[in-house]
Amino acid sequence: MSQLLSTISYAFIPGIISLVILYGLYKHVSIYDCFIEGAKDGLKSAVEIMPFIIAIFIGIEALVSSGAMKFFETIFSPVFSVLHIPKELISLILLRPVSGSGSLVLMERIMSDNGVDTFVGKCSAIMVGTCETIFYVLALYFGVTAVKKMRHAFAAGMIGYIVSVLASVYICKFM
Amino acid sequence: MNYIWAGMIFVGVFFSIINNNLSAFTDGLLNSCSEAVEFVIGLSGIMAVWCGIMKIAEKSGLIDAAAHKVMPLIKFLFPKERNSETIAIMLMSFMANIFGAGNSATVFSLKAMERLDIENHYSDTASDTMCMFLALNMSMIQLVPITVIKIRSQLGSTDSASIIIPSIIVGLISMVASVIACKYFERKQSKP
Repeated sequence: MSQLLSTISYAFIPGIISLVILYGLYKHVSIYDCFIEGAKDGLKSAVEIMPFIIAIFIGIEALVSSGAMKFFETIFSPVFSVLHIPKELISLILLRPVSGSGSLVLMERIMSDNGVDTFVGKCSAIMVGTCETIFYVLALYFGVTAVKKMRHAFAAGMIGYIVSVLASVYICKFM
Repeated sequence: MNYIWAGMIFVGVFFSIINNNLSAFTDGLLNSCSEAVEFVIGLSGIMAVWCGIMKIAEKSGLIDAAAHKVMPLIKFLFPKERNSETIAIMLMSFMANIFGAGNSATVFSLKAMERLDIENHYSDTASDTMCMFLALNMSMIQLVPITVIKIRSQLGSTDSASIIIPSIIVGLISMVASVIACKYFERKQSKP
């Protein structure tokens, strides 16, 4: 089952590209010209989003390198102990919404400290695999739009995040 | 966004003063700017490729065909969305997310957001569709968390892929939660 799923996953990109090109040929579209035209648009958007990415990278770095995250860990630890969430996972839970690469590094450390196949190790893996970097997504996606008031997008994202954290912990307990 | 960003920076400055590591803070900031630029350069290549491929799909009519197939689901999640091209790009972003195509997903999502913004007449308030799209994007399941599995096997796990099924279950739960939350907020705000 797991094997099958990973094969599908690896085949996705080659599959979709071949499908699009074959369909284009079949419909007699000048695919090369189209590709170039689209790629030009793509590069333009890439330049347009650069400032937003720089802004969010700086913001995240400010929180992490200043040690602010450490402080939040201590503040929130009582809440986590009430919910029976192991304290090894607290920093990961707090870092995950702001930094994707940072939480990968943290996950690696948690696994090598506590063992890969332990409860904490598995839990950290599932958390990183299922949760999104909410703040990054919000900043970036709303960055490319004119939107200033994002209404309930943040709340809905946070609810989803909290639910997935809790679900990861409790499902791991049954494993 | 104004406040969130300002908050992040000021909290950072405040704590670096308290913890007396202003120099590490400065280094971190400067490094992160160049990291951001490197990231965009990496992203721009992928962006160009996918936009090119999508252009072919658009011209050949594949996008319309795909959008029609999933209409019922779209009608439920995004009742106000009419443009089949936008729907197709949103779909691609979800697919890329599910199959773990990494930055390709970001590319599609950004394209979709740009289009939604145009349909929203560049308003400064997010539309229902935008909120739902974001909420879904943030909680989207990933069929196989490839990076995580790789790290697990490097660290010597006995069955590195064993997290796949639980991950999918967790992903589904959080997706349902996000959709319910979004629908709830929509309903609450549409009442006068």
